[in-house]
Amino acid sequence: MNEIQYTGEHLIFGQIGHFFIILSFVASIFGAIAYFNAVQKRNQAISSSWIKFGRLGFWIHGFSVFAIIGIIFYIMANKYYEYSYVFEHVSEDLPYKYILSAFWEGQEGSFLLWMFWHVVLGAILLFKAGKWEAPVLFCFLFVEIFIGTMILGLHFGEIKIGSNPMVLFRDTAALPLFAKEDYVLQLAQFADGLNPLLQNYWMTIHPPTLFLGFASTLVPFAYAIGGLWTKDHKEWLSPALKWGLFSGGILGTGILMGSAWAYEALTFGGYWAWDPVENTSLVPWLVMLAGIHTNLIAKSTGYSIKSTYLFYLLSFLLIVYSTTLTRSGVLGDTSVHAFTEMGLENQLLIFIFSIVLLCAYHMIKGFPSVAKHEKEEAFFSKEFWMFIGSLILIFSSVLITFTSSIPVYNKVAGLFNYDLGLTSPIEPVEHYNKYQLWIAIFIGLFSAFAQYLRYKASNWDNRKSKVLKHVGVCLLLAGLVSYLTTLWIEVNAWQYIMMMFFAYFTIFANLDVLLTFTKYNKTKLASFTAHAGFGIMLIGILASGLNKKHISTNAFAQRGLLPDDMLGKNVLLLKDSPMHINGYKVTYTGDSIVDNTRYFKVNYQRIDKNGNTYEEFNLAPNALYDSKFTKIAAYNPSTKRYLTKDIFSHIAGLPPGESDIEEAKAREDSLNWRTFETLIGEDLVFSDTVKINGDSLYIKKFKAQITGINKSPEHPEYEQEAGDIALGIKMNVQFLEKEQVHEIEPVIVVRSSLLYNYPAQINDIALKIKLNENTLSETYLLEDQLSYQDFNFNQGQSINFNGKKITFAGFEQKPIHPDYIAEEGDIAVAATLQIESDNQVRTASPVFLIRGNRPFNLKAEVEELGLHFRFTKIDPNSGKIYISIAAQESPGKLPFEIATNSFRSDYIVLEAIEFPGINLFWLGTIMMMLGLFFGMFMKFSQKELA
Amino acid sequence: MKKIHIIAMVLIILSVGVLFMASNDIATYSTFSEAHASGKKVKVAGQLMKEKDMFYDPVKDPNYFSFHLKDVEGTETKVVLLGAKPQDFELSEQVVLTGKMTDEEFLATEMLVKCPSKYKNEEEYLKLEQG
Repeated sequence: MNEIQYTGEHLIFGQIGHFFIILSFVASIFGAIAYFNAVQKRNQAISSSWIKFGRLGFWIHGFSVFAIIGIIFYIMANKYYEYSYVFEHVSEDLPYKYILSAFWEGQEGSFLLWMFWHVVLGAILLFKAGKWEAPVLFCFLFVEIFIGTMILGLHFGEIKIGSNPMVLFRDTAALPLFAKEDYVLQLAQFADGLNPLLQNYWMTIHPPTLFLGFASTLVPFAYAIGGLWTKDHKEWLSPALKWGLFSGGILGTGILMGSAWAYEALTFGGYWAWDPVENTSLVPWLVMLAGIHTNLIAKSTGYSIKSTYLFYLLSFLLIVYSTTLTRSGVLGDTSVHAFTEMGLENQLLIFIFSIVLLCAYHMIKGFPSVAKHEKEEAFFSKEFWMFIGSLILIFSSVLITFTSSIPVYNKVAGLFNYDLGLTSPIEPVEHYNKYQLWIAIFIGLFSAFAQYLRYKASNWDNRKSKVLKHVGVCLLLAGLVSYLTTLWIEVNAWQYIMMMFFAYFTIFANLDVLLTFTKYNKTKLASFTAHAGFGIMLIGILASGLNKKHISTNAFAQRGLLPDDMLGKNVLLLKDSPMHINGYKVTYTGDSIVDNTRYFKVNYQRIDKNGNTYEEFNLAPNALYDSKFTKIAAYNPSTKRYLTKDIFSHIAGLPPGESDIEEAKAREDSLNWRTFETLIGEDLVFSDTVKINGDSLYIKKFKAQITGINKSPEHPEYEQEAGDIALGIKMNVQFLEKEQVHEIEPVIVVRSSLLYNYPAQINDIALKIKLNENTLSETYLLEDQLSYQDFNFNQGQSINFNGKKITFAGFEQKPIHPDYIAEEGDIAVAATLQIESDNQVRTASPVFLIRGNRPFNLKAEVEELGLHFRFTKIDPNSGKIYISIAAQESPGKLPFEIATNSFRSDYIVLEAIEFPGINLFWLGTIMMMLGLFFGMFMKFSQKELA
Repeated sequence: MKKIHIIAMVLIILSVGVLFMASNDIATYSTFSEAHASGKKVKVAGQLMKEKDMFYDPVKDPNYFSFHLKDVEGTETKVVLLGAKPQDFELSEQVVLTGKMTDEEFLATEMLVKCPSKYKNEEEYLKLEQG
């Protein structure tokens, strides 16, 4: 068989790219081995040579990773669709600003993003880590080896290792298209592009932040391995703490961004859903926090060193676990945002077990040499309470992981051919909340009380009474403010009241410790910000979570009939008909289109008891159509923000004809059109028979009347262009059981010999009326069907035509005529003619034009009288003008088509939710992150031993 | 024995207890017949029957969407979701429902649909095959 010689491919990029993939992989192995030897022989002279080799390996690896990313970015930006990754993530219409998002939309791209951050952090550490360079960089390169295998794309017989992002599309599927040598040219039209749901700025900022967070957990991990490996259990604590704080801050920010994205841009209706994917990124963060706290203890007292090791190692291990869960397809049934399977399961398992082995080995080897303490921690020491707080965080992590791992139990049982068939709890949110609220209570208590204590309980006996007094005051304050809060939000269960109480307790205690308990000192600022933030976050969760309220529910109609969780969450809003729900008057007032987005304007008015509006605002939730405008790709919410609450709304549904062009066509085809004809001004009565319950019939009667013809008609969907022949028929239509008369105007247009129909839909009576060609030919006569008579007269003179008096009133030197566009050198003049008939005077202004020495004339028409005027000649000497006039017989019966039972197209299905106190949640969480970053900056600015 | 060890042990015992309690919440997938028998809120997974009618007319009720699902035992049941019809529902295959059985139909409050993006590719390939 002959090989096909393809044209238009850019194979060189794939070749160079794959070369760098292999090079980066080999370099990471080489560098890891070198650094490994550097650590092993750390007390020998040869160590520095190994370090040099290690650095060489790292730099080659780092450069290769950058090169791979650069090449992928280049082929994506240039849209070389012959590459599978480009074909799947880029499309012709994808804006340039989303190329980055498209890059990390896929698994390969996100692995590369992760590697990128490892390289960046590794490079910083290579310069800054000093004596820790070798063990730390070893860990980085060791991890890079495993991530590198995910994009390796090598085949050994049946075994495939990794998925190469540079693979050619034609190598992934056998399609008939690939028989054509110029197939590349045809790919553009099929390219998928970035999922429209992901086309927003969150997709640009969330993944890089989250992956930096993932990558950052490796730093304390690497220091921990370094400490265990070199059996230097003290010195690693300082740099590990700084990086632990960095990691806590950045990973937390990444998670928070995901939460903000879910809340703000997606239609999940909340910021946290305890989804397994969310949980498995939260857990490493909680463990990191536990590590930071034991690290603080270890630095100040020498206690808790083993725990610090354990928690830092665990944190990164859990990141790998999280990666395995989300990328292996295991979570497919239980999570809304897991990746689909890619055949990387075995590699991910090898990755995770290798990390476990690495940790276990070093813990077994290193732990015995950690100094033991004869004396135990004092009960009233800071370290004691901080340690228990850390254990509580671990406890929380265990619980969350236990439930999030349900799919793993199935998978493991499946390996032994046993089908467990387990699935996540039926009420997942309640399940997690009922346990985690206790965690919140204890963390609230400890993070408040521990602030008053000192390490090693120094001078406790003298401080005791003062501490108790301050704690007492804070408890009282917490109780008081908790009571006040219940006036604002409903907190029914006693567990939640306790949670609120301890949340306030930690806010007040931390404030007290910062300002009044001892003198203000800026080193306390970080701890204050983080812990008070935690308390504020809890209040925000209570307010927005427990008191989240659907505005868009018709509770009156449904309450009592259905259990609460089955109450409908959506309401139907007909255009311009207001709906009163839950204290609001909500009206859908109209829509507008900008690019591919259709905005639906919804007016909200808050109504008091007397029916007066005391507050009003508009929201515009939107629907994003795909590039070809054939279908809705995504709905985006719109939120009104107040200081104390948010009102969130999104479109839950549109009329089927509005959301999908195929559906629209099917519906249009299903209509039963009937043709009628009538004279202008004459009533037409028609009826429609509707079957009710099988046999009984119901006859609906309608009346229609044509009131006029309009040759420059308007219709919301019709935009006039020069050269259009347009016709609108003005009609009055009435459903005879109702009073209302609907004035409508269906339009038909001929544009460059194609016919365009703009029907009129009357939603209230489910009626649709359209015109057809016959309507057009009945009203528009061709010129040769008209017989013109010639007249000539001077200004001021009148003639008589068919009993109508026509007067030449004067010239118009700057004529305006729909078909006339002025050009340089034109000599144009219009004659103003006044036509008197039935005591009414109408005007017509035909135009005479000389362009390029040739005479033209543009006719004028008086539609009501059926008169056509042409201005054919002008006598410059006498000032006489020559006018040709033709009379058209008034049109006969005008045909039009009617469909009864047409589909409504004037509504939206809306979901609207009120979130009280949501800003407390954001404030609290942001404060927590700021606290971690403050801590980090303070530690970095301290001149400590590295 | 140190206080901290005692507390750690208490926490470990506590966590075993809590995990045991928590495991009661872990659900197993039910079938329609089991849902019928128990009358409780359950989870059912099944295949969407695309050839059967789907009904959603927001003008009549914006919170009523019905379709047919075949569970693992092959039982076909009409499902009523008390909510709006999700976008591109027609493209989904595997559906996981939370809800309870009434006399004739399954009343669902939550629904998880397998991400249709997976199928989008297949569609595109089909188009390519023809093109």
